Formats: sequence, C-alpha cells, structure tokens
Amino acid sequence: MFRIAEKTVLNPTVTKLVIEAPLVARKAQPGQFIIIRAMEDSERIPLTVADYDREAGTVTIIFQIVGGGTMELNRLEAGESVHDFVGPLGRPSQLEGLKKVAVVGGGVGCAIAYPTAKRLHELGAEVHSIVGFRSKDLVILEKEFEAVSDRVVKMSDDGSWGEKGLVTNALEALIREGNQYDEVIAIGPLVMMKFVAKLTKEYGIKTTVSMNPIMIDGTGMCGGCRLTVGGETKFACVDGPDFDGHQVDFDEAMRRGSMYREFETHAREASCNLFKKEVE
Amino acid sequence: MAKQINMDPHKCPMPSQEPLVRNHNFEEVALGYTPEMAVSEARRCLSCPKKPCQSGCPVGIDIPGFIARVAQEDFEGAYQILAASSALPAVCGRVCPQETQCEGKCVRGVKGESVGIGRLERFVADWHREHSHETPVRPQPNGHKVAIVGAGPSGLTAAGELAKLGYGVTIYEALHLAGGVLVYGIPEFRLPKSIVQQEIDGLKAMGVDIETNMVIGKVLTVDELLEEEGFEAVYIASGAGLPRFMGIPGESLKGVYSANEYLTRINLMKAYRPDSKTPILHSRKVAVVGGGNVAMDAARCAKRLGAEEVYIVYRRGMEELPARKEEVEHAQEEGIIFKTLTNPVEVLGDEDGRVRGMVCVEMELGEPDDSGRRRPVVKPGSEFTLEVDTMIMSIGTSPNPLIRSTTPGLDTNRHGCIITNGEDGLTSREGVYAGGDAVTGAATVILAMGAGKQAAAAIDRYIRNK
Repeated sequence: MFRIAEKTVLNPTVTKLVIEAPLVARKAQPGQFIIIRAMEDSERIPLTVADYDREAGTVTIIFQIVGGGTMELNRLEAGESVHDFVGPLGRPSQLEGLKKVAVVGGGVGCAIAYPTAKRLHELGAEVHSIVGFRSKDLVILEKEFEAVSDRVVKMSDDGSWGEKGLVTNALEALIREGNQYDEVIAIGPLVMMKFVAKLTKEYGIKTTVSMNPIMIDGTGMCGGCRLTVGGETKFACVDGPDFDGHQVDFDEAMRRGSMYREFETHAREASCNLFKKEVE
Repeated sequence: MAKQINMDPHKCPMPSQEPLVRNHNFEEVALGYTPEMAVSEARRCLSCPKKPCQSGCPVGIDIPGFIARVAQEDFEGAYQILAASSALPAVCGRVCPQETQCEGKCVRGVKGESVGIGRLERFVADWHREHSHETPVRPQPNGHKVAIVGAGPSGLTAAGELAKLGYGVTIYEALHLAGGVLVYGIPEFRLPKSIVQQEIDGLKAMGVDIETNMVIGKVLTVDELLEEEGFEAVYIASGAGLPRFMGIPGESLKGVYSANEYLTRINLMKAYRPDSKTPILHSRKVAVVGGGNVAMDAARCAKRLGAEEVYIVYRRGMEELPARKEEVEHAQEEGIIFKTLTNPVEVLGDEDGRVRGMVCVEMELGEPDDSGRRRPVVKPGSEFTLEVDTMIMSIGTSPNPLIRSTTPGLDTNRHGCIITNGEDGLTSREGVYAGGDAVTGAATVILAMGAGKQAAAAIDRYIRNK
C-alpha cells in the first residue's frame, strides 16, 4: 500500500496526487512512468511521473479523469492509500547537453512537459515553453512553467487564456523569429504531437515525443503498447516512452488508442451521469 | 500384504466437465480422481526397480515411492514424498507435459497406456490441500540471504528449496500478484488460481518474503541487491519477455492481440468476469496464430468469452503442433477449428481500423529444416481470406531487456537469453544465477522448476564454500 500524502484538484478533470513511494522516488527521472492501481481489483494505469522528491520519498502524478480507472483513483483522498505503485518504468528522457529547447505541452500533457522543462532548466539550458489548453478553466501548472522557463507562450483554443490558437502556431512563430532550437520536446494529445512533428520536420529540428499507449503490465510482457517507429515495432514500456517524433506512426497510434473507447465511456457514465463533459 | 497389480491396459479416465458445457465457463475442465480411482490407478504401477519415470522428471520426484503410498491409501505419506522434491505439486499435476517426461518413460506405456502419474500427483496434492491443516515448519535460519527475481514457477521453486535449507529468501515480483505465468498466462480452467495462491501461501508460511510491484532492473538493480541490500546471491527467473509479431501488414489494427496481452487481460486482470474493470474485446470470429500450449489457451479463452468461431491457424500440420496432445484434444472437443498448413500474410481492417479479416496462404511441407521439422512452403496461388474480427498472435517471445541492460558483465546470447554454465545456472557474474525462460526462451513450467531447483542447490554450495 502506498499512502497519498497530498491531493490537489488542478481543474475539474485533472487531479494531482503526491504519493509516498520512497524506492520509486529514489530512482525516478523525467520521462519515466509508473503503473498505479487504486484498489485490489482496479485496472493497471500507466502515468508519466510529473515530479519526485528524493528526500521526502514522494512521487507526484497528475492525471485526467477519462474512464472508470481514473475515476476510481480520483475518489481516493489524502491520507488514504493506493493498492499498487510500480516504477520507475521506461527510459528517462535524454536531456543532457541540450543548450536551447522548446518544450511544447498540450492539455494534461503539460503535467509531463513540466518536469522535463524543470530538469532542462536545472541543467542550464535555455527553455522556451509553449503551453496550450482548450480554455482558461483547464489551465494547470502556469506558475510552475513560468518558474523554470526563459520564455512561456500561453495558448488556448478559445482565446480565454493567452493567445488564441494552436501550440504549433506559436512554435512556428518562435522558429521564424530566429530561435535555433537543439531540440523540440512535445508532450500532449497524439494529434498535437503529430502536427508539432510535422512542423519541425519542415524546419529540420530534432523532435522528441512522449507516447502513452494502452498498457497492461508495463514491464515488457504483454506487447499491448506497441507502436510503429521508423517502420519497426517498438514497445513504449521498455523502448520508450520517448521516441523520435519524426519516426512515429501517429495515425496508427491514434487508431489503437481508441480500441476501448466505448468501454471507457460506458464506465465513466455508469459511475456518474453528471460527468458528460467532453475531455481532451 | 502382497500388492495386487491392476493389469488394465488403460489409464483410469479423468472425470471432466462436458466439452459443450465447459466451453461456456472458466471453471476447471478436469475434475480430479476420487480416492477409489486413485488407488486403482496407483495399482497399475509395477514399481520398476530402475524407476525410469523418475529419470524423466525434471525435479526428480520419487515417483514409484509416492504411487506405492497411494496404492496403500496413505495419501499424506504420498504427499510428503512429492513435497520433498517439488514445491508446486498441485500445479505440476495439472500442467506438466507428463507424456514426454515421466509418463513417456513408463514401462506400462510400452504395451498400453502409461500409469497416470500426473493425475495421481494432482490427486495427492489436492487431497493434502483439502485434508491437512498443518502449517509448514519454519526451518532454523542459517543467517544467509538470497534474492530471487520473479515469482513464477522457477523463482518459487528456488525459493522453496532455499527456504528449506534455512536461507532468508526474498522474491521480487514485477506484477502486483505472485505466480508469474501461473497467474497471468495459464487460464483458470486449466489451473485454478486459488491453487496457485495456496502453494504461494505455503512458501510464505515457510518464511519466504514476496515483494510485489518490484521491477528489478528499474527500482533496484542486481548490483544493488548484492551490494546494498545484503544478498549473497541472486537468482534471475524473470521469464520469457516480449511477444513476437510476424511483421505482416495490419498487425497494429484494433483487434490484434498478442497471446500475452489477451491472456493477461483475462487471467491476471479477470476480464472474463462481467464486473472486471479491465476490458477485453468480446469477439465473434477469432483466429489464433500459432500452435503451442499458449495458442490453445488463448483459443479456448476466446471460445469461453462467447466467440462463435475460433480458429487455430498454424503453418505446419496437426502432427507438428507443439502443444500437448491433451490440450489439442481438449480444444477440438470444445469446438476450436484447426486450420493447419495455413499462414497469414496480411490482416485486413475496416474504415474504423478494426480487424475484418485475414489473408492467408496454404502451405505444404517440404524438406526438414534446422529444427528437424519439415519446412512449410507456400502453395502457389492458394491465397484466401478468412473472415475474423480478432486475431491473437501466439508465435513466441523474445527476452525482456530490463535486467540484461542494467547488469554490467551479465552475458547474453544473440537472442538476448542469459547465458549460464548449464546445470548450475551460474551466469557470467559471480553470485548471480539464472534459470527458466529467461535462459531457455519460452519453455514449460516444469523445466523452469527444474532449473530453479538446480540453481538453489548450486547457490547453497556457493554460499557454504565462500
């Protein structure tokens, strides 16, 4: 059992949990993920590590409520415990040696983009963060991004926060301004990562994306998280979750991600009829 | 009392659920012998002085010894003989390929059917579980600590052997539940999970510590176990690893599973239960590609989940199926359709990206290949489409990279399997032993157990001679 030290509701559909898991906290690095199970009979949910505190022995996760499993997790309160917490899994992001980086976060993906930006900042890189949300109500980690970025560009789909437009518009503007990035790191919805990668390919800028496909064990056994990268089958759990954005077959990943959508919708509606809000 | 020998050339048949009933439920197929059946079957044993059966057992059970006790109706005595050699008799009695091991060497098999050794083993283990309530004796601790990576059959066996000798044993298991393939792979109807749990509880009662949710190579490395956690030796029994795919177009469509994923959803995550929180596709027509025991398990699960048609698609013939004969027969009885000498070349999808069919070619057998089996070759112009909505790939695995990539100096072969010195299981690193599928690639439960037993003996020698 792993105790929940803190719970914070970041917006109506996104929750942050700080979990006491000293062994995981000791090893976790940006880009890695954990597998969590709320209760003894819950699904195994993979979530990318949002932060960690080696001294306090805690790991922070930020998740969006999309189906039965995340709803169940969201019902737990600080002081209660999650049944299982495994990690750190996957390969850490390769951030050493980068001098100037654009970190692009979309929606709840910002939860994972943030530790990457923070680590780059610690390593002395110049960090330009481009963060996008559908609207002002859904914004998370605004202050955190400001604290670790040399520049933050805020975007929203409806113009209620920052500028109206897509993160790709903002990224292209920065590139056109003459910013020379060693790398672009994009974390967010698949469709966002796809278009960021498409844009940076035109400009020839190396781009890393963080993939979050469906997983069961997360340890290199089930093969459910397979992706096609550069024409080869790769497993996000052991080969990733970071991959070269110019090589990933996003269309295929998007199709596979929708395999259980009906089941997720059903589980969500069965749990709560009020929860009909469309989420990204 | 002179022992009466039962000269019936046939084994006492195993009472089983009717095929067309059982293919709609996940309850155990074989129901087990009654005491009368067991005694009668035990009396078929000739008690050969040379014990050929014992030489066929990877863990070296005194088979004529335990069978003689059954014939004398001393079932607990029989159990004690089994338990002296095997940590998991209730499991082995169910899933061992006895026909190629102990029973394959049985003298009675020459002129009739061999003695039903597996069925008797199962009977004895079940009898003990139902009648004996003694807790195992905790051996006197010897003050030495050994770590085991993986709580599957190999790791559990090694743990049992070492615990008996007084070692402080910790098993690190990556999943949330101990048992390895016994809980995520082999379905409930072949091996009830309550039986696995009881065998594991027995080990815990002996003092074995099982730490779940611990992925060695990530949360702790093998070197940390040796240097920081105070273990004098490590036994790596981390299992088979990642599923292989064929590399044909369409394998990423919705509805294509690896057998590992399909079985893990069903067995570990209980997706067959209506209240399970882990989803599984409830398919109409399913093709399982491959011919091993895992393929049979996947096909029989698909049928039980309500599929109307389930195919085994295998590129060689019925004779070459690597699965146990009993599993193939059970599958056939349950209505699984065998499309042998058939190989898929493409998976077809609909506009939503879901599987709608599979393009196959017919095969014929040519000259023998490296494995000694006749090589299947494509029959020209034989292409046809098999209409299915789900495809399950069951064509083997390749080793998990997590340990080899984080353990410097640990030698692996070109497939990624850990190299050992043979019987001892010693790797290229001092104090680090390995066995089971992590060394051999995907094999059987009992071979993994045999490796665990031998490695435990080697670890004991190593620590005593240090």
